[in-house]
Amino acid sequence: MEKILLKNIDNPNSADINEYIKVGGYGSLSKALNMQPKEILEEVKKSGLRGRGGAGFPTGMKWSFAIADPNFPKYLLCNADEGEPGTFKDRPILEKNPHLLIEGMAISGYVLGSEFGYVYLRGEYPYAKDVLNKAIKQAHEKNYLGDNILGKGIRFHLAVYQGAGAYICGEETALIESIEGRKGQPRNKPPFPVNAGAWGLPTIVNNVETLSNLPYIVEAGGEAYSKTGNKDCSGPKLFCVSGCVNKPGVFELPMGTSLRDIIYKHAGGIKDGKKLKAVIPGGISTPVLPADSIDCAMDFVSMPKAGSMLGSGAVIVMDESVCMVRVTHRALKFFEHESCGKCVPCREGTEWLRKILERIENGKGREGDVELLSDVAGNISGKTFCPLGDGAAGVVMGMLKHFRNEFEEHVKNGNCKFQI
Amino acid sequence: MFNETVLKEINEIRAKYPDRRSALLPSLYIAQREFGWLSHEAMQFVARTLNLPEAEVRGTASFYAMFKHKPVGRNLIQLCTNVSCMILGSEGLLDFLNKRYGVEPDGTSGDGRFSLVIMECIGACGTAPAMLVNTDFHDNLTEQRIEEILEKYK
Amino acid sequence: MITLTINDKEITLDKPLTVLEAARQAGIKIPTLCYHEALKPYGGCRLCVVEVERMPRLQTACTLMAADGMVVKTESDTVSKVRRGILEFLLINHPLDCPYCDKAGECELQDLVNKYGPTVGRYIEEKRRVPESHKDEIFTRNMSRCVVCTRCVRMCGDVQGASAISIMGRGNRSRMEPFSAESFNCEYCGNCLTVCPVGAILSRLYIHSFRPWQVDKEVETICSYCGVGCSLVAQVRDDAIKRVIPRMGFGLNKGLLCSRGRFGYEYINSGERLKTPLVRKDGKLVESTWSEALGIVADKLMKVKNSHGGSALAGIASPRCSNEDNYVFQKFMRMACGTNNIDSISRTGFAAAQKYFEDLLGQGTTANIIEGLKNSETIFILGGDPTAINPILGLAIREAARRGAKIAVLGNAKGLERFKTLQLVPSVFKEADVLEALLNEIYNVKGLRGENPALDKGIRALYEKAAAAFDMQGFDNLKKILLDSASTAVVLGMDLLQRTDGHRSLFAIAGLIYLLEARLYLLSEKPNEQGVVDTGCVPDMLPGGRPLGIHDFKRKFEAAWNGVIPENEGLTLLEIIEGAKNKKIKALYIMGENPVFNLPNESFVSEALKSLDFLVVQDIFLTETAEIADVVLPALGWTEKTGTYTNLERRIQLQKKAVETSNGMEDWKIIAEISNKMGYRMNFADSKEVMDEIAKVSPLYRDLTYQEISKGNCLWPYNGEPLRGEISEAPAVFKTANEYKGDFYLAVEKPLFHSGTLSRRSPALMKIYSEPALKVSVKTAEKLGLNEGDRVQFFTQIGSKEAIVSIDESIKDNRVYYSNNFKGNGIFSLLTFNIDKLTKMPGLEGCEVKIKKL
Ligand SMILES: Cc1cc2nc3c(=O)[nH]c(=O)nc-3n(C[C@H](O)[C@H](O)[C@H](O)COP(=O)(O)O)c2cc1C
Ligand code: SF4
Ligand code: FES
Repeated sequence: MEKILLKNIDNPNSADINEYIKVGGYGSLSKALNMQPKEILEEVKKSGLRGRGGAGFPTGMKWSFAIADPNFPKYLLCNADEGEPGTFKDRPILEKNPHLLIEGMAISGYVLGSEFGYVYLRGEYPYAKDVLNKAIKQAHEKNYLGDNILGKGIRFHLAVYQGAGAYICGEETALIESIEGRKGQPRNKPPFPVNAGAWGLPTIVNNVETLSNLPYIVEAGGEAYSKTGNKDCSGPKLFCVSGCVNKPGVFELPMGTSLRDIIYKHAGGIKDGKKLKAVIPGGISTPVLPADSIDCAMDFVSMPKAGSMLGSGAVIVMDESVCMVRVTHRALKFFEHESCGKCVPCREGTEWLRKILERIENGKGREGDVELLSDVAGNISGKTFCPLGDGAAGVVMGMLKHFRNEFEEHVKNGNCKFQI
Repeated sequence: MFNETVLKEINEIRAKYPDRRSALLPSLYIAQREFGWLSHEAMQFVARTLNLPEAEVRGTASFYAMFKHKPVGRNLIQLCTNVSCMILGSEGLLDFLNKRYGVEPDGTSGDGRFSLVIMECIGACGTAPAMLVNTDFHDNLTEQRIEEILEKYK
Repeated sequence: MITLTINDKEITLDKPLTVLEAARQAGIKIPTLCYHEALKPYGGCRLCVVEVERMPRLQTACTLMAADGMVVKTESDTVSKVRRGILEFLLINHPLDCPYCDKAGECELQDLVNKYGPTVGRYIEEKRRVPESHKDEIFTRNMSRCVVCTRCVRMCGDVQGASAISIMGRGNRSRMEPFSAESFNCEYCGNCLTVCPVGAILSRLYIHSFRPWQVDKEVETICSYCGVGCSLVAQVRDDAIKRVIPRMGFGLNKGLLCSRGRFGYEYINSGERLKTPLVRKDGKLVESTWSEALGIVADKLMKVKNSHGGSALAGIASPRCSNEDNYVFQKFMRMACGTNNIDSISRTGFAAAQKYFEDLLGQGTTANIIEGLKNSETIFILGGDPTAINPILGLAIREAARRGAKIAVLGNAKGLERFKTLQLVPSVFKEADVLEALLNEIYNVKGLRGENPALDKGIRALYEKAAAAFDMQGFDNLKKILLDSASTAVVLGMDLLQRTDGHRSLFAIAGLIYLLEARLYLLSEKPNEQGVVDTGCVPDMLPGGRPLGIHDFKRKFEAAWNGVIPENEGLTLLEIIEGAKNKKIKALYIMGENPVFNLPNESFVSEALKSLDFLVVQDIFLTETAEIADVVLPALGWTEKTGTYTNLERRIQLQKKAVETSNGMEDWKIIAEISNKMGYRMNFADSKEVMDEIAKVSPLYRDLTYQEISKGNCLWPYNGEPLRGEISEAPAVFKTANEYKGDFYLAVEKPLFHSGTLSRRSPALMKIYSEPALKVSVKTAEKLGLNEGDRVQFFTQIGSKEAIVSIDESIKDNRVYYSNNFKGNGIFSLLTFNIDKLTKMPGLEGCEVKIKKL
């Protein structure tokens, strides 16, 4: 498959604007500025592009909500918070192909009638920050950003906003709170950001990868784009594979590639000749799948049917030596640490879950603890303010669904037979 | 109070956003850079510079894990122990850091050379285990690699 | 119209509401914890979950907008189970220390657990413990009990606008703290206490002293501190006020209070209260009996009246006393003593300004409701900080700012630092120049309205002799804001009027109000400044604002009062003091006022009063003035008697008796008794009868009853007849040639935490603000090399003081501020005054100050 998102990425100077231009970069922007914003929107709709941040919302539809009122200024926010554990797919774009994102944002800004865009970059990516800032400066100098882009009288400015270590800021309304200089706690919806987002104005939040698809869609057309992937979910997708595999890394593959292929074909199969035990397919917030459930297509529609979610496409592979109690315990430490504290079930529930898991792992489990885990997770699930809490509960429920006996053995024996 | 250069820097950031409050996180980063950590005094400066309530400045700062509310050593080791790194042994590296450099999570070594914090995934899972030292990424960590790497940080 | 069904009940709404509000309207209770009617929906606690048909998840009723056709179930097994689960979560880390917690009995968590909660705990780990904090003098914080509903933080930030507390940390490490983590550097409004559903923040004033169910009674009354007149509830046990709380939606303050109203009540129980009459014998005040003391007073006053005539007597009324007290007082002065020499401290500000505006703009000019401020497009604030002088009015300004109003401030106003759009700080004594220039420019653009000959003429005359255009940073902006605004309110404090040429500013402001069709709000420090005027405690008007000079009125009052009212207008306050000094006034009756401390130039005032033949002071404390009196009569205070007060909106409200005490007698009653002894009969059984008489004789208060008044919406002109006198000539302007060349100027601090000399007997307020400091700007501090806490000596023409320096960033000029609230340490003792010939206000002169670091 032709690489769209990771194009040119092996070139050591890929982040430089001249290298980018050499391979046709910013051609789409100048093509776009000769089109009507509406035409481009049509192409985006035709492409079938769905948001790559995790929820998979159709991008064209989101945009048309925001465009509804032409009189309001709008903000375009790029979600580069990439906080979902196991996820490192946006990083190569940010560090090695920043102009692809900038071009994508400039096109999007044009379509949306937005004059200001911000990249909300997680604080843990200091290198990407420098790369992006430099790239933005270059794009400015070459008139791909600024007050009169390519002499067409189009205005679009871009700035990087650095997060400071809060996973919840990946959630779009929390991200908006954060960029406004507040704690990153999610907002009530409605109003949705497309109606009243950052600084009270209509705001579009899109993931890095989502926006990076724009140059190609403009260049090749929505129709051509939609040929990649499968019917409901089109285009290329970045999958990042980590854990017990031979060749971990980021792979650009068609949407809907099977989980088995991702692990065995692309990531080189399980390390040290061990057996696969379980996979977390879409980042830590998605339910675990046991080894025998990996013949599923990795896309937004098939994964829920398989009992999990595509999430951010972050595949965490665990072999037979990994203890599921330990993984769950570590995951819950994460959720407890990252709970924003706004709603009761998440704030208190994640702590409680973590404590129960801790005692089970430390051999201090009690009879009834597995039921208690399941019950507490049930009391969280579906009752929280935002999906973070659901994610925490989902992890526990997924683990109990497939590996309940491991938890029970732990309680009974005080330990387990796994190395990790 | 901040010196003129810093005030200028903050004012330039302010100009990028529709509201002065947006400059809060960037200003906290600057204060942390200038003072090493966010003392009450540093947060007061930020509050004054942006005409924001002190309590809200501190409340906001305390929400974010990367702002430090106590002094840190000369170098900050940020080791990821989330699942991908854990599976590949990062928790063992914690013990190593403690034994070899005398530094515990959320603590600082006696000589003030290193502080250590545990990170929740730093986006380097493909090359796990990984850590950030100050602003540099280091991955595929082993005990030996850590020794080599930390040589550079005095 | 929206029609929805909740629990099979069809509900029709005429405006958009949340499901929770719709349910409450229909009498359906949905449990809540983070929701509070005064705050924006939050959706954090999740207790208000309900089932909504065709919606996949349970929904939080507090955030969900009701929609047409919605079908909602608020109670079901699913919902109950969820609520139980949530409460279980809330309890895992809760200390369950109800037996020891002062909130028990009025704790929302306790009640909810009682109704929905789990009965056994499944949590076995150690609880999260946060040590209780007693670091603050007023609040205790117990963060183990906190449920992180953030109601306190939202109240403090979104409503009070102080933003002094925040949730620190995140997730399960969240806890409410002030910036310092210890004491609260805040406005001490205590509104956080009102909204805390559990015992996480409590007031140290009542902690461990009683249980909520142990109060004998709750009395709805109004606050005694400032001219806003907030409603509050006094909780009484064993004839002592245990606690003061506001009630949501109740009174013009709608459930909010300020520090003085909430925490300042203890003065009433002070051990320093006067309890028996005192009489000077051999140069010393000694305890006496009522009959002896009253006899002496009647006797002395009669003697002076008989030998020197009524004009040798004078009375000073009180804006802290009720309308009934003041009415009886002026009637007594006029009819028993035969003099119109009656005035009050209100003359130094409010009353003088009010008269000036009414003369020019018509009666009722200042009768504007505070609530209305919130909807103004522009608010122009000058002469003081409304958030300190009249805090609840200040909140309306902050609310307006949040709604997008432009807030233009002339001078310093600390409480509006984060709310103002624009601030101009003219140098000392240049305010009138700025205002005149502003008026000229506005006139230049807008022209005259042709509706008020006096103002039209005056504005034109001013314009014709105007100097060149005014050059000051922000001036043009201010002009533009005012010109562009469709609805402007002017909020005026007295600071910039207390000048020898204060009337110049007054004219310019009147002109601006006229041209801009703006509404006027006069800040009022004391609770009944309007009432003293309206009940006739002024030298030139009878009750109801009836001019003494109009014979018809005078005759009517004479008929009703059965006697002769002296012909000539009396002396104003400062003229009375001067009169005492000149021996023209021989005897002075002071009711509830402390001129020695509260007027500039203490030594002059106290000498003047010492040269009187006879001085009576009626008060609740032995004030600086009472100390030099010949007879001191103990009066009753707040909650000890019933009476009405007229606030700055000209709303009459009822202050009610809540406790029985033998400390003293009602002010009006003491005076009536003396009057009777002097041969002028006054027979009132109670204050209600006094009101009945007022309602009968004063055309402004026709048919007013306590019943009517207690509804809280008795606003000017009540049921009465307003007077619409018009003057055709704007008052002349007296040019004064004050040129000040000092480097620094002394100004009176009006602190939020104090009010006159009353608050110094409130232990809580004394703890919050215990010692005056010399407040200086950052620049002043730099110039003088001063640091926070340094000791300095400062000098004016007539004296000097030592003080601690406090640097205040909200001061933008070379004024230095010092308060006039602390015993033996008032700034007025360092200031001299001249009388503004027109308004009779004191011009605070001699305020150039030299500061020496010690
Ligand atoms: C708890 C939580 C964390 C999230 N983190 C991220 C993130 O790190 N990066 C991201 O792009 N989207 C994240 N999202 C999804 C965003 O809310 C949002 O759906 C996305 O930015 C929309 O962009 P897209 O339509 O391009 O996917 C997160 C959502 C939740 C609920
Ligand atoms: S589920 Fe609740 S506490 Fe958790 S992150 Fe979302 S809003 Fe915050
Ligand atoms: S009252 Fe609705 S969530 Fe708290």
